[in-house]
Amino acid sequence: MGTSYGRGGATTFQQDLQNADVIVIQGSNMAECHPVGFRWVMKARERGATIIHVDPRFTRTSAVANIHVPIRAGSDIAFLGGIINYILKNDRYFKDYVIHYTNAPAIVSDEFRDTEDLDGLFSGWNQQTTQYDKESWMYKGVDPAPAAGKREAGADRRGPIRAEHTDPTLQHPRCVFQILKRHYSRYTPEVVEETCGIPKALLIKVAETLCRNSGRERTGAFCYAVGWTQHSVGVQYIRTAAIIQLLLGNIGRPGGGIMALRGHASIQGSTDIPTLYNLLPGYLPMPKAKSDATLADYCRNNESPSGWWGEFPKYFVSLMKAYFGGAAQKENDWCYDYLPTLSGDHSHMNTVADMADGKLKGYFVMGENPSVGSMNGALQRKGLRKLDWLVVRDFQLIETAEFWRDAPEIHRGEVKTKDIATEVFFFPGAAHTEKSGSFTNTQRLLQWHHKAVEPPGDCRSELDFIYHLGVRLKKLYARELNERRNWPIRDLTWNYPTEGPRHEVVAESILEEINGYTTSDGKPVAGYTSLKDDGSTACGTWIYSGCYRDGINMTARRKPHWEQNWVAHDWAWSWPSNRRLMYNRASADPEGRPWSDRKKLVWWDEQKKRWDGYDTPDFIADRPPSYRPSKEARGKDTISGIDPFIMQADGKGWIFVPAGLEDGPLPTHYEPEESVIRNPLYGQQCNPARMEWRRRDNPYHRAFEDPRFPYVLTTYRLTEHHTAGGMSRWLSWLSELQPEMFCEVSPELASERGLANGGWATIRTARAEIEARVLVTERMKPLRVRGRTIHQIGLPYHWSSRGIVVGDTANELIMFVADPNVSIQESKAFTGMIEAGRKSKERRAVTSGAFVKQIDPEYWQRDLPIARNRGGGPHDSKAVETKEGNM
Amino acid sequence: MIAVTTDGRDIDLEVAKLSGEGALQKVRPVDTHMQRVAREWGKLPTPDTSDPTYYGRPVLKEPVWHWAIPLYFYVGGAAGASLVMGSAAQLDRSGELENLMRRCHWAGIIGSALSGAILIYDLGKPSRFHHMLRVFRPTSPMNMGAWILSSVSPSAIVAAMFAQRRGILGAFGEISGVASGLSGLALSTYTGVLIANSAIPVWQESRRVLPILFGASAMASAGSIFDMFFEDRAARRVTYTFGTVGRAAELAASIALERQAGRVPHVARPLHTGASGFLWKTATVMTAGSLLLSVLPGRSRKRRVAAGVMGTLGSIMMRYGIHQAGVASARDPRATFRQQRAGHGAAELD
Amino acid sequence: MPAKGFFTDTTLCIGCKACEVACKQWNQLPDDGFFFTGMSYDNTVALGASTWRHVAFIERPVPLQTQDAGAFSWLFSSDVCKHCARAGCLESCPTGAIVRTEFESVYVQPDVCNGCGYCVVNCPFGVIDRRSDDNRAWKCTLCYDRLREDMQPACAKACPTESIKFGDLDHLRAEARARVEDLHEKGLREAYLYGEDEHSQPGTGGLNAFFLLVDKPEVYNLPPDPVVPTKKAKDAWTSMGVAAAGMALAAVGAVLWGKER
Ligand SMILES: Nc1nc2c(c(=O)[nH]1)N[C@H]1C(S)=C(S)[C@@H](COP(=O)(O)OP(=O)(O)OC[C@H]3O[C@@H](n4cnc5c(=O)[nH]c(N)nc54)[C@H](O)[C@@H]3O)O[C@H]1N2
Ligand SMILES: Nc1nc2c(c(=O)[nH]1)N[C@H]1C(S)=C(S)[C@@H](COP(=O)(O)OP(=O)(O)OC[C@H]3O[C@@H](n4cnc5c(=O)[nH]c(N)nc54)[C@H](O)[C@@H]3O)O[C@H]1N2
Ligand code: SF4
Ligand code: SF4
Ligand code: SF4
Ligand code: SF4
Ligand code: SF4
Ligand SMILES: [Mo]
Repeated sequence: MGTSYGRGGATTFQQDLQNADVIVIQGSNMAECHPVGFRWVMKARERGATIIHVDPRFTRTSAVANIHVPIRAGSDIAFLGGIINYILKNDRYFKDYVIHYTNAPAIVSDEFRDTEDLDGLFSGWNQQTTQYDKESWMYKGVDPAPAAGKREAGADRRGPIRAEHTDPTLQHPRCVFQILKRHYSRYTPEVVEETCGIPKALLIKVAETLCRNSGRERTGAFCYAVGWTQHSVGVQYIRTAAIIQLLLGNIGRPGGGIMALRGHASIQGSTDIPTLYNLLPGYLPMPKAKSDATLADYCRNNESPSGWWGEFPKYFVSLMKAYFGGAAQKENDWCYDYLPTLSGDHSHMNTVADMADGKLKGYFVMGENPSVGSMNGALQRKGLRKLDWLVVRDFQLIETAEFWRDAPEIHRGEVKTKDIATEVFFFPGAAHTEKSGSFTNTQRLLQWHHKAVEPPGDCRSELDFIYHLGVRLKKLYARELNERRNWPIRDLTWNYPTEGPRHEVVAESILEEINGYTTSDGKPVAGYTSLKDDGSTACGTWIYSGCYRDGINMTARRKPHWEQNWVAHDWAWSWPSNRRLMYNRASADPEGRPWSDRKKLVWWDEQKKRWDGYDTPDFIADRPPSYRPSKEARGKDTISGIDPFIMQADGKGWIFVPAGLEDGPLPTHYEPEESVIRNPLYGQQCNPARMEWRRRDNPYHRAFEDPRFPYVLTTYRLTEHHTAGGMSRWLSWLSELQPEMFCEVSPELASERGLANGGWATIRTARAEIEARVLVTERMKPLRVRGRTIHQIGLPYHWSSRGIVVGDTANELIMFVADPNVSIQESKAFTGMIEAGRKSKERRAVTSGAFVKQIDPEYWQRDLPIARNRGGGPHDSKAVETKEGNM
Repeated sequence: MIAVTTDGRDIDLEVAKLSGEGALQKVRPVDTHMQRVAREWGKLPTPDTSDPTYYGRPVLKEPVWHWAIPLYFYVGGAAGASLVMGSAAQLDRSGELENLMRRCHWAGIIGSALSGAILIYDLGKPSRFHHMLRVFRPTSPMNMGAWILSSVSPSAIVAAMFAQRRGILGAFGEISGVASGLSGLALSTYTGVLIANSAIPVWQESRRVLPILFGASAMASAGSIFDMFFEDRAARRVTYTFGTVGRAAELAASIALERQAGRVPHVARPLHTGASGFLWKTATVMTAGSLLLSVLPGRSRKRRVAAGVMGTLGSIMMRYGIHQAGVASARDPRATFRQQRAGHGAAELD
Repeated sequence: MPAKGFFTDTTLCIGCKACEVACKQWNQLPDDGFFFTGMSYDNTVALGASTWRHVAFIERPVPLQTQDAGAFSWLFSSDVCKHCARAGCLESCPTGAIVRTEFESVYVQPDVCNGCGYCVVNCPFGVIDRRSDDNRAWKCTLCYDRLREDMQPACAKACPTESIKFGDLDHLRAEARARVEDLHEKGLREAYLYGEDEHSQPGTGGLNAFFLLVDKPEVYNLPPDPVVPTKKAKDAWTSMGVAAAGMALAAVGAVLWGKER
């Protein structure tokens, strides 16, 4: 989403789904996982919209949808590619929108070669790094700076994008539109049927429904969640939907958009003000050791000559002022050198692999239960065992805190508690009712919650913990504070007001800092447009700027919906600038008039010479539609009156992503790391840029048709439980609703494998073996692919060994392998075996050491010869070199 | 500071404790009443669309009454019928039936006291038995029953005390005797209404017969008791006649009940199968046997005792059979569904 | 006080069980134990003393008319005490523990019930049950305590899709009828109301908690033609009269006949 549209968040808000004429829910089980937001989908259905659910399983979402499309897990790009092909072949795209608001007319570099030409690879494959060099993907003659993703590449050649680089007739053979047409021409209904197991007629029905419900008068929305992201090609899944929505003109318009459904209550918040290793607040990249030695380098790499990211220095300087206050001065580059720099990939799985190899001493686990929720449980715990110390903050004594005495390998005697040297500290956490603060929900809405009760006993909030940790660190370093290496700690601003009997930090004071203030008088700034790069403003997170405007906690506003319009601006506050529907300039035609009366949202008011509408316009308020930048324009001034995607270097929605992605400018169907079939489209089986961890404690099956593991496994959630179970398996009211780990199988598979409803089954992969109750259900449908029957097995992943209800953990089964762009694991599609009966005590349930002795001779079939012999992964990481030895 | 147990978080466990009236209950775990489903595991949960049920789970709740209630039906019935006999005996002015009368009154007193005890014993909250008399509610046979039961003992006691006296007191005793007979009539038949007035298909379906069956059975019970325990030459013929008519009526009513319930064949199933079927059938055989013994020529004491034993067993087993049939009927969703689909739900009332 | 009740529209239900949990939380009811039933996603099985809302999950090999998903559909329905206009439980209760409130709901007074268990066999829907500890009858209160405070019932409040609608019965009925028409127009011809008034369910005089269903009531474990037992009790009372008369006759006869010999 970031690379396609400019901001890495849902383009719309859930209330707006009620305005849709068609909603495709794919890669999410929205009714089960987002039941409250799902009410708007039901509203849309009641208003006559068609609801389409594309999912390997028939779920509670499918139950209330109009169309259910059973799909083979891991084949969504083929399906969506088929829809793109249908749109293009039948000229069903929204021409005016595509020409003016997308980069379809842009002309791409002459060096670019498509997967059509290279059997599944794009041009630029580098056999040394086993990654792509992306120069050949750029526009002809200019390198646009990506708004998200990897931004440092090609910074030298950047310049504003101009008309001469485009062909508005869309006829130029190297324009994005023609490339797109060629790229998806092979995604025919027949190929889709062979790849996804979806009958041709069903694909056409879905495509037709989408097309019929798009255009001036009608709009359609997509909803997705982790059914799309948790694949080794996850980002490209979303990209495919992004392309469809641009072609159909569904972005920035009411009832349109892509609703990214985020998981945990404030998971959007935790990427905005990130817990991610590679970002600073507000999606400012973390400086990289290799390319960002100085502030000048860093700014050059991240500032875009055109579009909104020209403002980059203002946000960065304000952030540094917030971090280091008076110490941050222009002379010392605003303390740029205080920031740690990235030397490689420190994402979760890399970190755990490093831990398992003894490279880490300590680990904080706060609000996470990796022993249950993360891949390859045995490897996770192996990592924990090699630590010196582990801090766990949670409500319960979760499995991660108890790994040293309650884990499969301990029960089987493979590991002895007395051999584990890790010192575990457990801190009881305060629940959300026991502390004040804000949640940023899936639609970027910041909502304040007030403390209702004091936390019991020793429970404390995260804020309190971190604050006191900081205070103690400062104290600890007190004597050596003036040593240069300790300056970051010395200069860190850490003076927050406290309140109450326990001297807890006033949570609102943090919000104030996030909002930003003028350094001279500490007055809150009105929004990010007030931020300066001269040190006169400080701001914790530029995109949140405005949430404490005029000293009012905007996030605590609770005006009921019956006192305002459906956009409900006065309920809480959303970033950016309280806009609810992003890129909403696109809801009006190039002249600034709504595309239709039915789908009216914002428009240019000729009298007032301003943009006006139901929502806050996502555009420069007084820039008329007729504005065109001059040749000398830089930064914000390059945004023309018809550039709705203001964060993008060219102001357009990117159908083709010339920069910012690791695995190609256009989504291409690759099979999951482990599949039951050969890639029907290309010789290249898997995403060539994927991240792998070839370790003996992380063995992979054959790429396809592994006779030992003939079934597709997929994992998911149930309404009744929450993720790794820390918040539901300890609660009797939830536990009674889903008391045991189970697997969902079709009646056909049940009879093939002798499974009885309610009985036991053992599920096995090369990583582990688990047992589960069997739920035989017609909701699981075997798929027919090329005359073969493909069975899929569904596994919820909520259970483990502690709490009121216990069971085996699905994640013991799953390997480390990840998408190259965002390092998300592939837990939605892998292969395995199922047998009737409980697992035997002697057999290993999980690996605890070297497991696979030899590399599987079939292993290499994953990649074309040129893409084999993979060395280091992306992000310059050396993920695969381990003490365990390369496979 | 109160010392509290704490968990790993050092949280006061009292914080999370459920509180209030609802919370205190200890719940029967699902698996105990789910055993039947567990046995059905392995069958694919594909519903039968033409004759659907919800996984074969019952629609109705089973009667929660335990073994004491059929016993109550029996004891109450026998007591009531005795009192009826007792007050009928007042018609005889010869004094020959005085013994019988006294015995009847005492049987009524003891029986109704026992009934009350059993009934209270079966209550979920015995200490609140008197709440039964908080209201007068004609729609509730159980409430009526409570009033009936509480009117039995006083009238029977008064009757027992004064019936044989002369003068005003005697008249008072006789009136009480008649009253006790009337409440005896009610006591021995209302239990039929009690269970007929329910949602349990087999009971509801046989509602027209149940009070008659229970009344007849009460007569047989009382007759059998007198047959077994007392050798009163003067009264022999009276109790014998009363009992035999009862036995015959019980047998006839049983057959009628089967036919009534069998109007919807599925509803009568518990009378033919399972534990309830066994009890029911054996009861019928017993009753028939005792009837046979009592109508065959000859009146030896032995045979009368044998008839009494069989009659008693028949009556008791009949009550248990009916009770069990109710339980089985409640468990079987199709009993409800088919009864109502056959037009014997509310449709029957039009 | 206008009569209050529920209109549970099962076509809007997403089977999330929020209602079940909200009810347990508000009423502080314990769990029913932890038992995997193998019955689709239903592991609480039925309404009872500790479960006052229960969501049924029906997997059936029959398609919905408005759905394209092969010969299959999955129905959900959140069941609850019907607060019948003629309530079997209330009419049969010998202690007067069960009363009709000012909201026309059927409420068991916990301090009066003596656990006789008669209501249990008199509910034609198998709703009310005795607690297994102190044996008092226990069921949905229609959140009487909340209604008194002008709040809506916990289950309705928690329902994310407004499948459970709470309000004045008159409004609910009108709304429900309009809804059925609307669904018919949309092609869901199977939709119908269950128990919305006396006319549609004469046996109970209509339900204050009624439903919109799309298959036979049996599929949802609801009786097709329920009747409050008291309505039929007349027959039994008559028979009792006959029985009593017969018995009296027999007794009198026995005395007279026995004496003559
Ligand atoms: N009740 C409840 N709600 C939750 C959570 C919870 O644990 N419990 N967790 C929260 C969190 S952290 C998150 S991230 C979200 C996740 O929300 P969702 O993504 O909606 O949840 P999942 O159940 O993980 O996966 C969704 C669906 O993806 C399907 N699927 C699997 N593989 C594929 C595939 O290859 N293609 C397609 N099209 N579909 C596939 C699965 O069958 C499943 O039905 O939910 C949030 N909400
Ligand atoms: N196989 C498979 N695996 C998956 C997924 C999948 O779909 N399939 N989904 C993945 C996804 S999307 C996610 S988000 C992860 C989730 O996995 P985790 O994040 O590891 O699991 P949670 O159970 O959500 O862990 C959150 C913990 O935080 C605690 N907690 C809650 N609030 C607070 C608080 O205020 N303070 C503190 N200190 N603790 C708190 C809870 O008690 C709980 O134990 O699982 C991932 N794993
Ligand atoms: S659990 Fe919370 S975030 Fe999730 S749907 Fe319910 S209310 Fe919304
Ligand atoms: S459904 Fe049953 S418990 Fe509820 S009011 Fe009606 S008869 Fe009473
Ligand atoms: S159990 Fe309680 S509520 Fe039910 S009928 Fe008896 S006294 Fe009334
Ligand atoms: S009305 Fe109240 S008591 Fe009844 S089911 Fe709903 S929440 Fe439970
Ligand atoms: S809360 Fe509403 S949607 Fe959820 S199960 Fe209950 S009735 Fe259905
Ligand atoms: Mo998540």
